[in-house]
Amino acid sequence: MPAKELPWVIKYRPKRISDVVDQDNAKREFIAWLNQWLRGKPDKKAALLYGPPGCGKTSLVEAAANEYNLELIEMNASDFRRRQDIERIVKIAATQMSLFGRRGKIILLDEVDGISGTADRGGLDAILDLINTTRHPVVMTANDPWDQKLRPLRDASKLIAFNRLTETVVAQVLKNICLSEGIECEPQALRYIAKLSEGDLRSAINDLEAIARGYGKVTLSLAQMLVRRRDREYTPFEALRNLFMSRYAWQAKQAVTQTNVDYETMLQWINENIPNQYTDMEDIWRAYEALSRAALYLGRIKRTASWDLLSYVFDAMGPGVALARVKSKYKWAKYNFPQRILMMAKTKQVREIRDSLAKHLASKLHVSSRLVKSEFIPILRIIFLNNPRYAARIALGYNLTENMIKYLAGPRSNEVLRYLNELKKGKALPSEETQIAITKTVKTVSEVTTTRTTRRSTRTRRRKGGRGGQTQLPF
Amino acid sequence: MSSMAELLWAEKYRPRSLDDIVNQEEIVTRLKKFVEEKNMPHLLFAGPPGTGKTTAAHALAHDLYGENYQQYLLELNASDERGIDVIRTKVKEFARSRVPGEIPFKIIILDEADNMTADAQQALRRLMEMYTGTTRFILIANYPSKIIEPIQSRCAFFRFTPLKKEDVVNRLKWIAEQENVAYDIEALEVIYEVSEGDMRRAINILQAASALGKVTVEAVYKVIGLAHPREIREMINLALEGRFTEARDKLRQLMVEYGLSGIDIIKQVHREIFGSEIKLPEQLRVLIADYAGEIQFRLVEGADDEIQLNAFLARLALIGKKVKG
Repeated sequence: MPAKELPWVIKYRPKRISDVVDQDNAKREFIAWLNQWLRGKPDKKAALLYGPPGCGKTSLVEAAANEYNLELIEMNASDFRRRQDIERIVKIAATQMSLFGRRGKIILLDEVDGISGTADRGGLDAILDLINTTRHPVVMTANDPWDQKLRPLRDASKLIAFNRLTETVVAQVLKNICLSEGIECEPQALRYIAKLSEGDLRSAINDLEAIARGYGKVTLSLAQMLVRRRDREYTPFEALRNLFMSRYAWQAKQAVTQTNVDYETMLQWINENIPNQYTDMEDIWRAYEALSRAALYLGRIKRTASWDLLSYVFDAMGPGVALARVKSKYKWAKYNFPQRILMMAKTKQVREIRDSLAKHLASKLHVSSRLVKSEFIPILRIIFLNNPRYAARIALGYNLTENMIKYLAGPRSNEVLRYLNELKKGKALPSEETQIAITKTVKTVSEVTTTRTTRRSTRTRRRKGGRGGQTQLPF
Repeated sequence: MSSMAELLWAEKYRPRSLDDIVNQEEIVTRLKKFVEEKNMPHLLFAGPPGTGKTTAAHALAHDLYGENYQQYLLELNASDERGIDVIRTKVKEFARSRVPGEIPFKIIILDEADNMTADAQQALRRLMEMYTGTTRFILIANYPSKIIEPIQSRCAFFRFTPLKKEDVVNRLKWIAEQENVAYDIEALEVIYEVSEGDMRRAINILQAASALGKVTVEAVYKVIGLAHPREIREMINLALEGRFTEARDKLRQLMVEYGLSGIDIIKQVHREIFGSEIKLPEQLRVLIADYAGEIQFRLVEGADDEIQLNAFLARLALIGKKVKG
């Protein structure tokens, strides 16, 4: 391809460090760090360059590689998924020799914040391995380095901040390109492009090129007509709006991929809001059927690590849901935050107690904790809610904690705890002739979990008969 | 003081030795042969829940090694261990140490083995081969068809069947007598009917019913009603009335507050669909059951229980609307 055919973002890529505009602090820190490496003793083996898109992070690394005559080994966010790819890079990094003679190397991992939390767990670990074993400088770039999941990488790296480029700086670069290309341009037009780029030089150069190649000149009116704000990531609310307004499959797919939440969270947002948007029951069912398929593919992906299925997840949750509409009218709908996420947060503590109880009993009963939850806990609840004295003996038998007892006994936990205390002190339980209290109305499990009312059920005191009597209880 | 401590009867009255097991006679006879010979192959115990598979495995180990059999035994539950790697590590660790004694092998019980993926089962097969000199596996499964062929062919197969009415009722009677619990014999029969030959469930119901007082038919039904959250039926009825979002709220309550898994819920839904409490034209029960089966399959494979069940509820709402309209 002849040079003039190269896209301008590549053609005008900085060749030397001094060509990188602005970012003097970042340049100084980066060069100091690189020099440490070349002398063989870096403080940190990796550097994490962070800042908004198009501010020169990757360009600086490329320019430095060029200037220091280092071989640049580059890897993109999308590659991090595959551990074997990273391991290939790790091998290269661990060897001293380069393919092209005795040149040094610099390893660039672009957009590490593109690693998604849970799915790429392995990828993150692989990068940490790489940093530990590398014999060459490792440079990473990220837009947002403060994400929780990047913390291990932050700890292992020298952090170098890049600033958002100012309009003036961006406009100046555009002007230089116009001069060098011999393109007639209005300063207000360059200013306008620079403003809409929001400091993203790469997008500004692309916009400039689009106008210049199409019209041979760059005027303000052309810029106003042609330049739009960049595609950006949408909040889940906007993404839902875009999804449900889609008339074509591609729009719907775009809607679910261009969001600032991951696809599992997006799945929850759609799950929550299908009935808010669609009014016809058949449409609702079709949409859920599509969502069900999406969740099914996602399950297969997780189980078998078949990441090539991911596209089908988006097909089902995007076009599948959007095109489920047949009878429902387009309407403005109010979308909700996924209630399940809220519920899970609210009930976290209770669920933790339940899970620990299930686990605790599972080993003693030789069953899985799932089976404890479905078969034993309901039985225990009936006992704990209706017969605190007997419950206390079971609590003793299984060494249940106070929290577990509260979970099982709900409003009657004080009674159970009191009996348990007596048992532990070794007080003999009252004899069979003693009056005991049992609830007349049998409490249901749901009464306890849903309504924590203070309403006490009517209790009757019953005199217990002798052996073999009608009200014999098992203690 | 410890005599005041009480256990769940399902555990308390679990037979310790093969001699104590009163049913599954043919299986017990074959297992006793292994004890006599002091040797055994890998075993696969398959059958419905509560038919004595885990009990038989423990009793076998007990009879082979004596009272302190626990140290010769590693018990794993496939659905609680996090993946084959964890299982591999534990098996490796366990198989490494030799324990003195006249039995030259140790036993690994792997419960709910049919919950393992085919890949994990392949890895398990290699494990079984690797440690075959020092260990024997007892695999326990509800559905033997979900165990891959190569494993099945390496195991002696034991099929456990649902317990007979007489066996269950006699056992319940015996337990009630040990516990000095008053009961009506009809109540024990009802327990058998609703527990469908599942001894664990039967004993659980007996214990809960006795905590309420005398074990009567009425008490048994009360326990069953309480043990199965009524929200399940309410959820189905709401969906059939076309009130989809309310049905969805019930579903969330069941999942989050009761901690029921999607599979638990769809199984109970399936039971309800054929019950008389749900009013439906008969052919629709078949249709709904068919879709419930599809959803259960997706629950096993899928990533999100609530979404699968929402699809089910939406379908119910649609069916309900057609019935009314």
